Amino acid sequence: MTSTGAFADATQMGVTGETMIELISVDKFFGDFQALKDINVRVGLQEVVVVIGPSGSGKSTMIRCINRLEVHDRGRIIVNGIELSHDIKNIQEVRRETGMVFQQFNLFPHLTVIDNVTLGPRQVRKLPKKEAEELAMELLTKVQIPEQAYKYPGQLSGGQQQRVAIARSLAMNPKVMLFDEPTSALDPEMIKEVLDTMQELAESGMTMIVVTHEMGFAKEVADRVIFMADGEIVEVGTPEHFFERPTEARTKLFLSQIL
Amino acid sequence: MTTTTIPPSPKAPLHRPVSPSVWMKQNLFSTWYNSLLTVIFGVLIASVIVALIRYLVSIDTEIIRVNLKLYMTGRFPAEQLWRLWAGVFVTTAGVGLFARAIVRTAQMKATTAGLEFDRSTPWDIVRRFWPIGALVVFTLSFTQTITPSLLTLAAAAIGLAAYWLGGGLPAWIIRRSWLIPLVGTTAFYFVLVGYGGVGWDLWQGFFVNIVITIAGISLAFPLGIMLALGRRSSLPVVRYLSVTYIEILRGVPMITLLLFGAFALGFVIPGDVQFSLFLRLLVAITLFQSAYIAEVVRGGLQSVPRGQVEAGQSIGLSPWKTTRYIVLPQALRNMIPALVGQFISLYKDTTLVFIVGLLDLLRAAQVSTAQPEFFAQGLESVVLPFVALYFWAGSYVMSRESRRLERKLGVGVR
Ligand SMILES: Nc1ncnc2c1ncn2[C@@H]1O[C@H](COP(=O)(O)OP(=O)(O)OP(=O)(O)O)[C@@H](O)[C@H]1O
Ligand SMILES: [Mg+2]
Repeated sequence: MTSTGAFADATQMGVTGETMIELISVDKFFGDFQALKDINVRVGLQEVVVVIGPSGSGKSTMIRCINRLEVHDRGRIIVNGIELSHDIKNIQEVRRETGMVFQQFNLFPHLTVIDNVTLGPRQVRKLPKKEAEELAMELLTKVQIPEQAYKYPGQLSGGQQQRVAIARSLAMNPKVMLFDEPTSALDPEMIKEVLDTMQELAESGMTMIVVTHEMGFAKEVADRVIFMADGEIVEVGTPEHFFERPTEARTKLFLSQIL
Repeated sequence: MTTTTIPPSPKAPLHRPVSPSVWMKQNLFSTWYNSLLTVIFGVLIASVIVALIRYLVSIDTEIIRVNLKLYMTGRFPAEQLWRLWAGVFVTTAGVGLFARAIVRTAQMKATTAGLEFDRSTPWDIVRRFWPIGALVVFTLSFTQTITPSLLTLAAAAIGLAAYWLGGGLPAWIIRRSWLIPLVGTTAFYFVLVGYGGVGWDLWQGFFVNIVITIAGISLAFPLGIMLALGRRSSLPVVRYLSVTYIEILRGVPMITLLLFGAFALGFVIPGDVQFSLFLRLLVAITLFQSAYIAEVVRGGLQSVPRGQVEAGQSIGLSPWKTTRYIVLPQALRNMIPALVGQFISLYKDTTLVFIVGLLDLLRAAQVSTAQPEFFAQGLESVVLPFVALYFWAGSYVMSRESRRLERKLGVGVR
C-alpha cells in the first residue's frame, strides 16, 4: 500500500527543521470505535499544517489530543519537548504553550471582550491587571477590533467574535496555535476577515495546525497539507502536490467532491 | 448636519385610540356567551369587593395595637429595646453605604467602557421597594406613641446620609465592597449582644424571622455551592459524601429536622456544650436548605456548555479556576430564578420554627389570640392576614428583584 509513502511524508517537516509537535503512533478510541488509527505527524517550528478530510475522519479528535481536550489511548504526543502524561501539571504546561480556536468561538459570554482576553494572562501567567490590559489592547488592535474591547461577545458579529477568540489565545503567548474549523460557523462575508488574521499570524512565524475546508487558505498559506479519512492519515504533501497531482484514490475522490 | 426623516411605512399598523364603549363592545360583549361571562364575572367580582370592604371596616385592630411589640420582637426585654433600634440604625447605614458602593462600581465599569451610565431615579427605587415601605408605614400606624415613627425617620435619614457619605469612600473599599456587609453584621451583633446585651435566646418575633432568613441564606448558599461542586468532584470520597448528604436531607421533612435540632441535637453533641435553641434551629434550616440549593446549583452547572470548560482549559486555567471564573458565574446567572425561589421558600419556612416553640411572628400571633381579653373571638381572621402581609411583602420584593437582576444580566442572551 502506498500509505507507507504518505506516512513517511507526515513526519517530514519543512521550514526550520526544529520539531515543535510530534505525534508517534497515536491511537484513540471512543468505546469500541477507533477514531484515530496509528497517527504519525511531526510539525516543525514555524510550520503551517492544514488538515482536511471528510466529516468524521478524526481531524478534530487529532488536534484536540494535542492539548489534551481528548486523551489518546496509545502512542506518544510531544509538544515543544514536553510529553503529555496523566500529570495535570504536565498537561497544563502543554496547554499554556498551545492556543486553540474553536468552530463555535467559545468566548466567555459573561465577560467583556477585554476580560475574555485578560483572564488567561492574569490567572495563569500572573500578569498584573494593568499589564494584562495593555497586552490585550495590543492584541485586539492586531486583530483590528480595539474599539470593541468593552462590549460583550453577544454584541459582536461572528467574525469579530472569532477574532477575539484568536486574541484570547495569543494573549497566552503560545508557541503553537490549533484551529478547528475556525470559519465553518461564519457567514460567507466574515470568513475573509478571519482568514486574513490567520494568514498574518502565519506570516509572523507562528506554528499552526489548521483544520479547515477553505481550500484557498490551504493553497496559499499551508506549508503542508494532511488528508485524513476514517481516522487515518491518507496523504501528506505540499499544496502543489496536493491540488495538482494527488496520488491516493481517496484524496482524488475527496478533492473532486469539494473543488 | 443634515437630518433625514424616515417616512412612516404605509403598512404600519395605526394605534387609534378607541372610545370606552367601543372597547367594551369589542372585548366584553362581542358574542352572547362572552356577554354572559362578563355579567357573571362582573357580579362575582363586585360581591367579593363588597364583602371585603364590609369586612375591612368591621375589623377591630385592637389586638394588633396591643401586641405590636410582641409581634415584632417577642419577649425582647423592653429596657434593652434601644439596642434593637441601634441595630436598625447600623443596618440602614450599612445598606446606604453598600448601595452607594454598588452604584459606584457600576459607574466605574460604565466609564471604563465609555458607556452612558443610567442612574436609577428615586422614583425607580420607590417602584422597586414600595411593598417594604408600605409595610413599614402600615406597621407604624399601629404604634401607640410617636417614638417609633420618629426613630424610623431617623433610621431612614441615617440610610440616606450613609448613601451620601458613601460617595467619599476610598476606591479600595469600593473594590472590596463585601467588606461593608461584613463589618455591618459584626457591628450589628455587638450592638445587640455586647456589654450585657441580649443574647440570641431572646431574639424573637418578626425580628427572628428576618435574622434566620438572612443568616440562613448567607450560610446555606455557599454550603450549597460547595455541595454541588462536591457532587461533580473527581475525588470519589468527596462525591459520595456530597451525594449522600444531599439525598438524605432532601428525603426528610424539614419539620423532622427542626424537631431533631430542637430536642435531639443536644444529646448527640458530646460534652456539655450548650447551644441555644435559636442556633440549633438556624443550623437545621441551613443544612436543610443547602441540600436544595445544591440541587439548584447542580442544574445550573449542567446548563453551562462543554465548550466553555474546554475554552478555559485551552488557555491553561486549572480545573478550579475554570470552575471559579467560567462555569460558576454562568451557572449562577442561569439559576437566578430558581435560586431566589429557594430563598423565598426559606423565608417562609422560617415560620416553621414556631412548632418547636421559638416565639417568631407566627407564634406570637397565635399567642396573642390566646390572651384573656382576645380569647375565642375569632381574631385569627385579623392576625393571620396581618402576619401573611409581612411574608408577602418580602417574597414579592425578592421575586421582583430577581427578575430585574435576570434582565440586567441578560440571561438567555448570548
Ligand atoms: N466524544 C465522542 N464520543 C464518541 N464518539 C466521538 C466523540 N467525538 C468524536 N467521536 C467520533 O469520532 C469520529 C471522529 O470525530 P471528529 O470530530 O474528530 O471528526 P472530524 O474529522 O473533526 O469531523 P467534522 O469535519 O465533522 O468536524 C467521528 O466518527 C465521531 O462520531
Ligand atoms: Mg471536527
